[in-house]
Amino acid sequence: MTRYLRRYFLLWLLLALELNTSATGNKPAVLHKDSAAVTVKAFDTKTLKKYAEDEDFAYVKEKKEQPSAWNRFWMWLWALIIYAISNTFLGSVIFKYLLPGLALAGLIYVIMKAAGMDVAALFSRKAKKSDIPYYESLENIHEIDFDSEINNAIAQYNYRLAVRLLYLKCLKQLSDRELIKWQIDKTNSAYYYELSNPAQREMFGALTRRFEYVWYGDFGINEHIFNDINRMFGEFKQQLP
Amino acid sequence: MEEEIFEQRTDLSKLNHAVEHIKATLAKIIVGQHETIDLIIAGILADGHILIEGVPGVAKTLTAKLVAKAIDAKYSRVQFTPDLMPSDILGTPVFNPKTTQFEFKHGPIFGNIILIDEINRAPAKTQSALFEVMEERQLTIDGTSYKMDEPFMVLATQNPIEQEGTYRLPEAQLDRFLFKIEIKYPTLEEEILIITQQHQKKNTEQLSHIKPVLSSQEVVDLREQVRGFHVEPKILEFTARIITETRNHKSLYLGGSPRASLAVVSAAKAIAAIKGRDFITPDDVLQVTPAVLRHRIMLTPDKEMEGVTPDDVIAQIIQKIEVPR
Repeated sequence: MTRYLRRYFLLWLLLALELNTSATGNKPAVLHKDSAAVTVKAFDTKTLKKYAEDEDFAYVKEKKEQPSAWNRFWMWLWALIIYAISNTFLGSVIFKYLLPGLALAGLIYVIMKAAGMDVAALFSRKAKKSDIPYYESLENIHEIDFDSEINNAIAQYNYRLAVRLLYLKCLKQLSDRELIKWQIDKTNSAYYYELSNPAQREMFGALTRRFEYVWYGDFGINEHIFNDINRMFGEFKQQLP
Repeated sequence: MEEEIFEQRTDLSKLNHAVEHIKATLAKIIVGQHETIDLIIAGILADGHILIEGVPGVAKTLTAKLVAKAIDAKYSRVQFTPDLMPSDILGTPVFNPKTTQFEFKHGPIFGNIILIDEINRAPAKTQSALFEVMEERQLTIDGTSYKMDEPFMVLATQNPIEQEGTYRLPEAQLDRFLFKIEIKYPTLEEEILIITQQHQKKNTEQLSHIKPVLSSQEVVDLREQVRGFHVEPKILEFTARIITETRNHKSLYLGGSPRASLAVVSAAKAIAAIKGRDFITPDDVLQVTPAVLRHRIMLTPDKEMEGVTPDDVIAQIIQKIEVPR
């Protein structure tokens, strides 16, 4: 009984599978023929040859330019120098020590420059003051003949100019005695503070004020005032060593 | 001594008295900073705006407040913040429902002494609002121009631009400040004195007792007097040479403008006045030059990276120019 049941089950299973395949199966695809006409195009051999011979399209080949006569001269000179120094004792020293040394120094220089360090100051004993040159001074107090210029100014009653010359002469006297350091960018007060002797400083301060009132302030000056100022300059000179 | 020799040309007694009075008033609270105080007084006399720069805690605002208190004038204070709008400073038209008209509501800029605290915390848009009023002493809003009352002075404080939350001020605005004064840290002795005064509560008590020493009209009169001081042509040439040199210097990307030349001469006159003279000397010019120029010149990027400061370049320039004598 069990055997018959098993046979029927297998029969039923095969039938069910067949029915399922028939229900879900697709029709086979139909392949249509392409009826469009195909035209075969051929490259123009002449054009291809023309482009092949054109140097602009020769990417693989490197153009070799012949060096000029000037460059050939330098190449020859360098070759001669290298030959000369590489076949002597001096040459071997240069190659062994000098060139590596220079390369190392160059590297250090580049690093220091990049770090913003003042390379020149490392080798200089004096403190760096300014890397900008002075303008040409309009007057050099060491070249003026003060006595004759002052006498000329007094003779022309130009007391204002005479006071100016007296003051410049005073600065020259201080500079000659190394009490001040004459420099075009220094103001009168800079010289005042340079004087270390209190008595000299006080007197110089008074003279400076008079000069400034006359020269920068354009205050009127007569003979009487000038004589007074002239006497003060004379007294100051007496104080100097 | 000179008055006995030379005939007195200008009566400076009132001016000298006012200067001494302001100095004495400020000295009650501010320890040291004599150069700063001189420059601030010079700024008042030269009719200029002043920018005070310093790190936090060096009494920038206190100094500016004291100067404002020393003058009997309408005082306004504006705290600049990143969200400040131009209308917050200048004012804005407001609709009045009763009159059915727009009425202009004046902003804090309408005063005599305007303290702008931390000016570089506001962006360029707000800074631009100050251009016209700082230069022309007038404001134009909705086609109407409003003249500022005399005296009109902007006292601004700022932190260095390296500080967090600050903006660089536009060049056009910087050029409108007569001075940029840098307040440095006090010396050890000054620091001890500051702490001692604070400990004894001297500062707080005296701050409330500061009384004005100059009226608005007196400030206007003194400015007029200073403007008329004598300047020798050779000093003008000396000034022009310095400013011209800033335009040709290899370390500078931007040099001083003609406004800078005018500012140097005006400021030098004021410094001469403080020293009791009615004419200027090369010393006066050189004293004000760094404060006049340091905010107007711009270093080249390489010099900036090397750590060179505008003051270094100004010193180099001054070193090149012959002092007229």
